[in-house]
Amino acid sequence: MTVLALKMPDRRRLMALSIPFAAVVGSMAIGLLLIAISGKSVPDAIEAFIDGAFGTAFAVGASINRAVALALIGLGFILAARANLTNVGGEGQIAVGGIAATAFALWQPVADLPLGLAVIVPLLAGTLAGAVWGGIAGVMKVRFGTNEVISTLLLGFVALLMVYWCVQSTALLRQPQTSSSTLPESLPIPDATKLPGLTGDPESPLHIGLVLCLLLALATAVVLQRSTFGLRLRAIGLNELAARRAGMPGSLLLVVALGIAGGFGGLTGAIMLQGEQFYLKAGFSSGYGFDGLVVGLLSRGSTLGVLAGALFFGFLRSGGISMEIMAGVPAALTLVIQGLIVIAVAGSVILVEKLEAEQR
Amino acid sequence: MEETLAIFIASTLRLAMPLMLAASGELVSERAGVLNLSLEGMMLTAAFFGALGSWATGNPFLGVGCAVLAAVALSAVQAWLSVNLRANQLVVGIGFNILALGATTLLYRIIFGGLSREEIPGLPKLSVPGLSDLPFAGTAFFQQSVIVYFGFGLILLIWWMLNQTSFGLAVRAVGDEPRSADKAGIPVARTRWLAVLITGAMAGMAGAFISIADIHTFTENMTNGAGYLALAAVIFGGWNVGRTIAACLLFGAATALQFQLPAMGIHVPTAFLLMLPYLLALLAVAGVVGRLDPPTALTLPFQRGK
Amino acid sequence: MQFGGKTWLPPSPAEALEQGIAMVHQHFSLVPRMTVVENLMLGQARGVLNRAAFAARISDIADRFGFVLDPNAVVGELSVGERQRAEIVKCLMRDPQLLVLDEPTAVLPPSEIGALLDICRRVADSGRAVILVTHKLAEIAKVADKVAVLRTGRLVAQADMATADMGALVQAMVGREVKPLDVALDDSEDSAVAPPNQPGFALVCDGLTVLDRHGATRLDNFTLEVRPGEIVGLAGVEGNGQSELGMVLAGLLAPTEGRYFIGDVELTHAGAAAVTAAGGGIVPEDRHAVACVTAMSVAENMYLNKLDRFTRFGLLQRRALNEAALVQMKEFDVRAAGPDVAFSGLSGGNQQKAVLGRELTLDPLVALVAAQPTRGLDVSAVEAVYRQIRAAARRGVGVLLISSELDELIAVADRIAVLYRGRLVGERPAEMNERGAIGALMSGQGAI
Repeated sequence: MTVLALKMPDRRRLMALSIPFAAVVGSMAIGLLLIAISGKSVPDAIEAFIDGAFGTAFAVGASINRAVALALIGLGFILAARANLTNVGGEGQIAVGGIAATAFALWQPVADLPLGLAVIVPLLAGTLAGAVWGGIAGVMKVRFGTNEVISTLLLGFVALLMVYWCVQSTALLRQPQTSSSTLPESLPIPDATKLPGLTGDPESPLHIGLVLCLLLALATAVVLQRSTFGLRLRAIGLNELAARRAGMPGSLLLVVALGIAGGFGGLTGAIMLQGEQFYLKAGFSSGYGFDGLVVGLLSRGSTLGVLAGALFFGFLRSGGISMEIMAGVPAALTLVIQGLIVIAVAGSVILVEKLEAEQR
Repeated sequence: MEETLAIFIASTLRLAMPLMLAASGELVSERAGVLNLSLEGMMLTAAFFGALGSWATGNPFLGVGCAVLAAVALSAVQAWLSVNLRANQLVVGIGFNILALGATTLLYRIIFGGLSREEIPGLPKLSVPGLSDLPFAGTAFFQQSVIVYFGFGLILLIWWMLNQTSFGLAVRAVGDEPRSADKAGIPVARTRWLAVLITGAMAGMAGAFISIADIHTFTENMTNGAGYLALAAVIFGGWNVGRTIAACLLFGAATALQFQLPAMGIHVPTAFLLMLPYLLALLAVAGVVGRLDPPTALTLPFQRGK
Repeated sequence: MQFGGKTWLPPSPAEALEQGIAMVHQHFSLVPRMTVVENLMLGQARGVLNRAAFAARISDIADRFGFVLDPNAVVGELSVGERQRAEIVKCLMRDPQLLVLDEPTAVLPPSEIGALLDICRRVADSGRAVILVTHKLAEIAKVADKVAVLRTGRLVAQADMATADMGALVQAMVGREVKPLDVALDDSEDSAVAPPNQPGFALVCDGLTVLDRHGATRLDNFTLEVRPGEIVGLAGVEGNGQSELGMVLAGLLAPTEGRYFIGDVELTHAGAAAVTAAGGGIVPEDRHAVACVTAMSVAENMYLNKLDRFTRFGLLQRRALNEAALVQMKEFDVRAAGPDVAFSGLSGGNQQKAVLGRELTLDPLVALVAAQPTRGLDVSAVEAVYRQIRAAARRGVGVLLISSELDELIAVADRIAVLYRGRLVGERPAEMNERGAIGALMSGQGAI
């Protein structure tokens, strides 16, 4: 586990973690207050929340699958952030990943591949598509000096509309139109291309995406903490001129960093498709890109932080949906909590810096 | 054919109006060096509180007032975070958008409950006497909601303010060279605060337009990315009032086309028309349509002596 | 301070301005995207802008002092000289009693200097006092009534221009004192007695020319050869093209024209990694911006360009890196709590020794370019730096030493070339009795 630990003196690490923690607790308290104000029963709501998040094998599986998606986006985010790049295009990278994975999964020769390749090829296609999508922003940055925040955001919207386009047009991925009520969706992908379940329990939706995610988390931690590549990303992020003086290929590193972040996004899209959704439809990415970005931001660069944040938001989402169904509390409450956490953490950065400066 | 064109122009104006209001407001902030990714959230909040105010008081004009107040309140928090606390403007903006989506949906469910899509008192359309009966121009320009005419007045006011007043000069200076502005005795923080509040007020108008003037109800996430589109318009417009308004009209036209083209028997994928604004903005930030020059200090907090 | 007949010390720049003292700084405070008139109205005009009235005032002032300035031109599109005039107008609008110009000619191309001096003259003729701060005696000779020479914060000479002896002023500017440094260096075993004369060249600059964004010439047909084992000093007042030369030699800036070699390898457009690979050690003038990443550790910084040596299967061998760094820290006397403390925690001298150590341990090492290597260091660090540089030269490395500290150059270098306005204006042996002549070249005597 030492691999995953942040290299920071203990007290400062505690301080850095205490702010998001306080923000989470405070925002949850406001959430409960809102429930009380709206006249709903707080205990009922909490019970419904816990039930929905942890109550059944299905609930736990669904929550963890959510967390896997959020964690992958978050991991990509912190890798790019190491080079001082802010990837806000997770949503679009999920979308292109989903498109590519759908296209490959629905291509009969792929579905017929042996040895699990039917699963792997769409996953790789999604990853590659996301990497290209992220890489475009990287190229724009080094060639034209375009701020990656603006480019990844705009590319995100383009990608979302590409999904819409794909499922609107039968020439692309829309299922054959047999009647006027045929939904604008793709065909369901063949069983051979679906991610295998993890538990063998048919009740649980938990799939091997979790294993993949944990392996990638380990790899990310190693890259960030132990690898020369991680050190180079750090150098380029801290002082690009000095890094270039030391012979590092500055432009290439920036493109690669955004490409990797995009690749994580694309993989997320493929996993969401092959693990749970099984067909492509508009709004397929459903906000996971932005939620994952939040997870990445709150982790302050720590791999463990990403995993913890992803689990938290994964269960928060599931619990929120259950609260709506069982206790009549709108699931939007979870968005309120999430938004408050982000704002509180962003606003307290100066405070953290001051505290850290005082300690020195 | 002429009738179709007139309707097309009218619907372009109607669809571009919220973009123009929001984008011209955002332009003031960005020229002062503050980027409000929260524009979408401000508009959504305004759309909700506008609808709520209009519904509660029965007076759509009071509704507009509520919308503006709500958005200005939100922008005040944004200003405090980005100017005083020097928080990351992008992160704060994303947080606000999530919060606004959650809070408006939540409040809508709590207050309106099952009565979804309830009609609210909307703003009247104003047929300009004498002009609205003109054969072509009447349909195209002079049968719009009152807020459209008022909105054009506001946009002109913003253009005038940016270019012809000392405050506008100060705004442009603090967005480009806050240090020089500071040396010339311009209060950097106060100027930026005011600029962000102006953005809030304009986003409030934009949100009110969508819920009170256009749709006459509130629906969840009803701005549906209009705030981001307005941000794209500012970029595509190269931080210039006239070009930003032109960009909004272009984006509005692209949206209007998706309804017009099928009626005319032309089939262009809707998705492509919807994508067009973002593609154009992407080309613009890549410098394809001439070099773009964002305000030098955009998103950079100012601290004297640092 | 005596001002206007009273004893007074201005408590703040604003107060000084209030009392009639206006200053044109080296760094302009103008907003490039706005027009001249808008810049001058900033903070002055209230409410609705009346550009025409303000523009008339500007034209009025411009006319009175005999220069042309278009009030409606966008500042970003103006030449440096025009921008400077806008700054001067900004000062004159306050109707000051005293106008101070800090090195106003350092940023100007030669063609615009005469005009500026004329403006100074006219301002003085209008009954205001003008203080012109400059390194260049020729300008003073042309325009000043009185001259005072400041050196290391002390007033060392003062004269009426009409009766001043130029030679004496040059001597006063350059100074004659022998610093402790000279003694220390001269005591070392082989002071530059016999400049080694090995065949071939370690470093060749052939007609290097750099134009900046505005098209102004920053480095002008710079040609210089450094032989193995030789230390060539490049003297010059700062801002005369040293920074641009440093960036070109570091592989971070492609010259507009000309070629650049280390040993036999051409590096004109090759980039930083190739410079390192060809054996070019670089100690840049802006240590924090170019030489190191202060938030990273000492060890990481000392091996920033050799990380591959400590990489196995993509992983960084941190223990090996720290051990190697510890050895190198000892060798180059870098004092720090350990190899894994943050570089920012080191003193300037120790940081510089670390950077020097990194660049001197290149394999092969053919040439070393050190720019202002002793700036801001204490005496012992200065000595250590020069001891290392001379030791390298003794091993056959060609050294180009760029510095504005003439005394140091004379003590360390074999010969001294002088850079003025981006051009080489002369070359002298590095000897004490050449100091006056070199100083004259540095200050543009005979070059204007």
